[in-house]
Amino acid sequence: MRRASRGVGDDQGTARQNGVSAGRGGRGMEGDDDEVLCTAVDMQDDDNDPTRRREIRSKYRDLINSVQQNREDMLSPTNNKLTDVLEEANKLFAEVRQAREAALDAQLLVLATDLGKEKASQLHAEGSSFDPSAFAENLLSFMGLNRLEDEGEMSGGYLPQDAWQKVGNRAQCCFRTAPTFHYMLGSFLAEPPPPRQRIARQRNAPSKEAKRIMPTQLKKMEESHQEATEKEVERILGYLRSYFADDPNSPISYYEFVIDPFSFSRSVENIFHTSFLVRDGLARIYLDEHKLPCIAPIEEGEVEAGGGSTRQQCVISISPKTWKEIIEVFDITEPLIQASATQVDAGTVDPEPQHTD
Amino acid sequence: MSQRKRPHNAPSSQSKGARNSMVLLADEDDDVSYTQPSTSQVQKGLDRLTPAQVDLKTAEVVQFIFVKDQKKIPIRRADIVKHVVKEYRNIYPEILKRTSRTFETVFGLSLKEIDSKNHVYILVNKLDPPDGELLSMTPSNPKTGLLFVILGIIFMKGGVVKESMVWNTLKKLRVDPGEKHVDFGDVKKVVIEEFVKQRYLEHVRVPHTEPLEFEFRWGQRADIEVSKVKLLEFMGQLHDQDPQSWSQQYREATTPQASTAPSGPVSQR
Repeated sequence: MRRASRGVGDDQGTARQNGVSAGRGGRGMEGDDDEVLCTAVDMQDDDNDPTRRREIRSKYRDLINSVQQNREDMLSPTNNKLTDVLEEANKLFAEVRQAREAALDAQLLVLATDLGKEKASQLHAEGSSFDPSAFAENLLSFMGLNRLEDEGEMSGGYLPQDAWQKVGNRAQCCFRTAPTFHYMLGSFLAEPPPPRQRIARQRNAPSKEAKRIMPTQLKKMEESHQEATEKEVERILGYLRSYFADDPNSPISYYEFVIDPFSFSRSVENIFHTSFLVRDGLARIYLDEHKLPCIAPIEEGEVEAGGGSTRQQCVISISPKTWKEIIEVFDITEPLIQASATQVDAGTVDPEPQHTD
Repeated sequence: MSQRKRPHNAPSSQSKGARNSMVLLADEDDDVSYTQPSTSQVQKGLDRLTPAQVDLKTAEVVQFIFVKDQKKIPIRRADIVKHVVKEYRNIYPEILKRTSRTFETVFGLSLKEIDSKNHVYILVNKLDPPDGELLSMTPSNPKTGLLFVILGIIFMKGGVVKESMVWNTLKKLRVDPGEKHVDFGDVKKVVIEEFVKQRYLEHVRVPHTEPLEFEFRWGQRADIEVSKVKLLEFMGQLHDQDPQSWSQQYREATTPQASTAPSGPVSQR
């Protein structure tokens, strides 16, 4: 081999051939003559042909793959698959020219060595060796494998249902296991019972469900709430306009208008909704000669004009105590704004109106 | 809690303090709450209790171990002390001695310490298993079969096998670790978690492997519980071969090894 590389006389070749002799050591010498021939002949044309190089590498990878896939079978002492692989590799190696291919060859050699080591460990110096594959086969027979329909190597045959029970029964005598203790009438489980888990799961599931539902629910609520407010505002505007139309000259006392003598909460709601009228420029609040607030609707035509004027804000606070005072002072006996149907349904804590029209 | 109990254990002394720190180093987490009392401390503790009290506590420990053993997961001394012995911990050695005696003489079982560092115990049947499969009283578990296969491979292969060999053999036996099995469910979990927790198997990483590789060995419970001779006999029956033809395994099975049983029945320590 040395001679061959010297003959070619390039450094690359020398390096490669050194690699060869190192790599080859374990594989026997019978291939050497061929290699000398190959290296001498193919050198020039094949060295740099990328297609050819790729093909070699691909073949190496296939070989490595098949070794990795069939590792256990290759280990079986009953076949010579490892030898076959090595011979195949020897053939491939004849065409190796570049470091990349040599690296793959080395990788395969590592695998082969590993397999060889394991195969060697199977060969105990004395006594029979143990082959897991044969063991599996014998065990299958013991389990009562029905080989009548045997077709494929692996999945053929029908294994009876009690196969493992049978092995367990037979193997039982190998174990000096202490019999486990059972309460004759059963017992509480030693661990947290499964229902707990189920509860946890149930709790999880609805929460997911709820999460999914939540957004739509919320949207609906907001919508309906807004709608309700708008409706209520319009309803109150209707009352205001009709009272105003009844007698446009007498001012409508703000308190008389919004206070519901039967319900504090409804009074608060009225105040709230009325404020929208003012905000939207549909009503105005002014002080009469007694400095008491009065409310009047703004006519359609006036809206434009009113829009330009500066608007003032004020905060009205009301407590049940002041609410009662107002009722007394203004002598309010009837709500000017009738409770809407939904408000009556809501059944607040306040006493229900005594009578309705 | 341990802080409260300790003064009760014994009057503090120099040597005690040193022992405490040793236990702290050697034992895991809550075992710290237990310190091995000295013989004289035990004697002092016994003097303060009536025999009936000691008997009652012993019976409780026996029952606790029985219940714990249902799952075959080794029992830790720390748990016995924490859950049962409690304020009797100063006479723990005596209670354990009596417990062990009860198991031996009443139940034909043997309480063995499989890990003298962390104080872990298992229960083993002292009586020889009945010959023949039909004589067995308790219905065996299919898992015993699975365990036999794995332990068998390991033993026949000289004590250690690659994980892949076990899975490959099981696949040939129609047990695919990737699929749910009728008898075993999640086979991988049973083998790698349950059997390992029960100390039937050891599942350890092979150093310096990429990708990671694991290998199986016999666990301490297997060393104590499993009869290699009987296992070899079954192997012989399966292969229709004289067990003695596996001369190496046969020799290992028949020569009693000191290392196979880390310690005898629990005695006062």
